[in-house]
Amino acid sequence: MTIELRRDGKVGWLIFDRPDAGNAIDAQMFIDLEAAWAELEADDTVSVIVNTGNGRAFQSGLDVIQLARNPEALKASSRQTKNAALRLTGWHCGVTKPVIAAVNGVCAGGGLHFVADADIVIASTDASFVDPHVSVGQVTAFETIAMLKKSPAESILRLAFVGRGERLTADRARQLGILSEVVEPGELRPRAQELGEAIAQYPLHHLRQLKRQLWAALEVA
Amino acid sequence: MTDAYDHLIVERHGPVGWLINNRPDVRNAMNNAMRDEFAAAWTELNQDPAVRVIVHTGEGRDFQTGVDVGELATDGVGMERYRQSMEDFDVHFTSWHQEVWKPVITAVNGICCGGGFHWVADADIVIAASDAQFFDPHVSVGQVVAIEAIGLMKKMPVEAVMRMAFMGKHERMGADRAYELGMISEVVDPPEHLRERAQELGEAIAKNSPAAMAATKKALWGALDRGLTDACRHGAQHLVSMWGHPDQTEGPAAFAERRDPEWEPLT
Repeated sequence: MTIELRRDGKVGWLIFDRPDAGNAIDAQMFIDLEAAWAELEADDTVSVIVNTGNGRAFQSGLDVIQLARNPEALKASSRQTKNAALRLTGWHCGVTKPVIAAVNGVCAGGGLHFVADADIVIASTDASFVDPHVSVGQVTAFETIAMLKKSPAESILRLAFVGRGERLTADRARQLGILSEVVEPGELRPRAQELGEAIAQYPLHHLRQLKRQLWAALEVA
Repeated sequence: MTDAYDHLIVERHGPVGWLINNRPDVRNAMNNAMRDEFAAAWTELNQDPAVRVIVHTGEGRDFQTGVDVGELATDGVGMERYRQSMEDFDVHFTSWHQEVWKPVITAVNGICCGGGFHWVADADIVIAASDAQFFDPHVSVGQVVAIEAIGLMKKMPVEAVMRMAFMGKHERMGADRAYELGMISEVVDPPEHLRERAQELGEAIAKNSPAAMAATKKALWGALDRGLTDACRHGAQHLVSMWGHPDQTEGPAAFAERRDPEWEPLT
């Protein structure tokens, strides 16, 4: 299992658990992510989901080289990409509960999916954001598209075109409204739990309705 | 270097193409001739494979102050042409109008007002000198602001755009506030370092795959016109368009070998 799942009261935790690989998504995590979101979505005791990473990095995107060694996973990944039908994030997997991303370190490339698709984003002072796609000949699309719709567009265009050359800091991301809170590294998980509990006080069906309506607004051209 | 333009300067510095507004005596206001030159200059830089990134700035104290109202008022034919092109939205003076798929950096020096916002709204990246000032005097002279403000509203907090639209010439926004709002991503201080910094930023971006950046630009600008799910489907087409491109193997190979990649030129 490449994902650690945990429950603390009404808060479910989905934790990337490939710390030695910067939590990059390999073939196994590719499969595990969909199952993990489904499990927390189906669990009636869970009202809010916190998403974070073990180790120093938050998420560093698809481990393309590892993925290429697994023809099945590569094929599935290619098909999902082509059809804009990825199954990586809560949004992709149709999760109806509020999702808090707690960014504990570097968030690179495909890792930005989990920031783009969360409802609430907080970060530790160690967090930084970088999108190296164009530096290695790749197109950046889905994750930057969602971020573009949720944040000042210029900052996301800059992130996309600068590639590896520059990192966005947690403080600047907070200023731009990409995230709402920056805390000391040791405070990140307690703070995410606290936020989760505060939100979990409300009836789940209200939270679901609210989430559905607000994300529907992003569907307007 | 080319001297084909009377009201613009077009230069190349390494991989960075420069388009410089050059009517400093009238704060780089755009007359009819300049408008036609913009169309030609964007196309020239867009078609030059040696140019990978374009920087747009202003000669003299100011970046740009919109349409040259003085000329328009005294030139009946020009006024009619301008009115007609706006009615038909058949305009060709920004990189977005001209479908330039290379990254465009607008470097704002001094005043950017009124129609000058077209090049803020339509650029990918915007940086400004610390003494830059932004305002929109349209309503103060009985004019409606539309296209450039609409472009900006899609890219930044709407309240700030509405405030500029209604305050007209009676209030100016400084570079610091524009940075806070995410209208621009960098304030260059001292102001005279603006061009140097824009060149540096351009060179950093020029290290990335031209083909991947072009497809990314199509995906991201397409997203501004679409709802989220549609935008992702549309973006997927541009993403997939790069599959099989030599840059997709060159990029990881160069990374693994710790060398600079050799990208295919844009065709």
